[in-house]
Amino acid sequence: MKINSYNLVMSAMFGGRRGLRPPVGNPTSIACHGLMDRSGVSFPEAHLHSQAMAELAIAGHEILGFDTVMPEYSVVQEAAALGAQVDWGGRDKMPDVKGFPNGDFSDISVPADFLEKPSCRVVLDAISTIRRHVGGRAAIIGKVMGPWTMSYHMAGTQNFLLAVGMGEKEKVGRMLRQLVPVTIAFINAQFSAGADIVVLADHATRNLVGPYHYEEYLLPIHQEITAQAGGPLILHVCGNCSDRLELFAQSGVDCYHFEWQVDSKEAVRRVGDRISLVGNINNPQALLQGTPEDVYKQARYAIEAGVNIIGPECAIPLSTPVENLRAIVEAAEEGYPVSKEGTVQP
Amino acid sequence: MAGHIDAIRDAVIGGKHGDIKAIVQEALNAGVDADAIINDALISAMDIVGKNFGSGKIFVPEMLVAAVTMKNGLDVVKPLLAGEESRSRGTVIMATVQGDLHDIGKNLVTMMLEGAGFKVIDLGVDLSVERLLDKVKEIKPDVLGLSALLTTTMPEMKKVVEELVNQGLRKDVKVMIGGAPVDRVFAEKIGADGFGANAAEAVELARRFSVK
Repeated sequence: MKINSYNLVMSAMFGGRRGLRPPVGNPTSIACHGLMDRSGVSFPEAHLHSQAMAELAIAGHEILGFDTVMPEYSVVQEAAALGAQVDWGGRDKMPDVKGFPNGDFSDISVPADFLEKPSCRVVLDAISTIRRHVGGRAAIIGKVMGPWTMSYHMAGTQNFLLAVGMGEKEKVGRMLRQLVPVTIAFINAQFSAGADIVVLADHATRNLVGPYHYEEYLLPIHQEITAQAGGPLILHVCGNCSDRLELFAQSGVDCYHFEWQVDSKEAVRRVGDRISLVGNINNPQALLQGTPEDVYKQARYAIEAGVNIIGPECAIPLSTPVENLRAIVEAAEEGYPVSKEGTVQP
Repeated sequence: MAGHIDAIRDAVIGGKHGDIKAIVQEALNAGVDADAIINDALISAMDIVGKNFGSGKIFVPEMLVAAVTMKNGLDVVKPLLAGEESRSRGTVIMATVQGDLHDIGKNLVTMMLEGAGFKVIDLGVDLSVERLLDKVKEIKPDVLGLSALLTTTMPEMKKVVEELVNQGLRKDVKVMIGGAPVDRVFAEKIGADGFGANAAEAVELARRFSVK
């Protein structure tokens, strides 16, 4: 296998042949002040203009040495296109939804030109730009919110979860079903635009819901989405999801992006034969407040555990020091662990 | 009486939000004391719900429904109570810090604190340091609870503590913090009095801080 970033990542996505080192990837944002300053691109322009979006994303590969390029920094592109009011934030603040258009669980009207709405178009154009720049050399990762996350944005998180708690299955199910086509369409549009992989971000996180909620409401939907996706998917669900790893492995995704709270060795042992794993460097304690040495240790732990692609556990804090991100790359550059006999360990 | 208390407690734990008012009224009609309904049934139930949440047996949806159920039951009893102010276990101000719009955790803590008998002033989200200090001076709470879900907004908590010190208010109020990126180490680093990993722990902290 020719050793380049693209091949390392794509092979790792399917648990395939390894190169001399593990790939370093970011299914979620690695935009930070340091990268903004070095690339000359900041927020909010990187959410709103495709060239800016592409340049900041490419900087992650060309300046930091990540093997992936992922241009969608926020989680609200779809909600904005569906009519939610969005505050696009700034250099110190990620975008957020300010109003919930379907707080009453009224039917969600998906516009026929959804993919042409500015917040979707910007992502598709950025991916195409990135493709022209690094296609085949670095792995291009798109990102789409799943129906659960979009329901948070359209109905309000607390409101939606209250409906789940009250057992209003028809109401909850209807909203999810109305959003499934949005996820599928945006995923496939991103593949068409030039993405090699797409992240399906759907926040049925342990901080909020139980594994039984995921199994009942979302697993069948994820299986439907993965069946219709035109390329490989990474599932991103935050939090300590140790209690639902096997469910994720049934969803049909090729890879799961996991957090530090899930032990790498445990995750590899339980589901590593069925899906690939990407992660799981801790954000608040290691990447934001820690030293490069702290980050290096966590990265080596993940590598030695057999995590397929090494990277931060989630979208990084905006004031993460650049040297801490570089520490992940440096840890990976050391290669795979070598046994006492001098052979590279599987 | 025990049967009525058990029925109310079970209804809250089970999230029977539609049945609770009738169950509470039945207990009142049978002569069960309003205080017993509040303390032995409603508050006791929320303690159990909080423990179940803390141990991962239930999650936010069930917590929200239990809190709604408890509140529905409390609405039946409250009009019968005299001198409600003097019954409060303490006063807590709750807020999400500036730049942060996330509030589920804070709202759960607020509901649990009210269920536990605290008077809670929920200031909402995106509260500036200045506004928080103004409210602390005005209300003189026993506890100030701060929530942040973002690593970018965590530093606001430190600013609040520093400003409490600057304005000579620090000794008059206990500060507890919570939120996904926050932990005990961070709480100690910024000089907060406590960290709650979940809503149940936050209530325990408030109880400890309010002992007079």
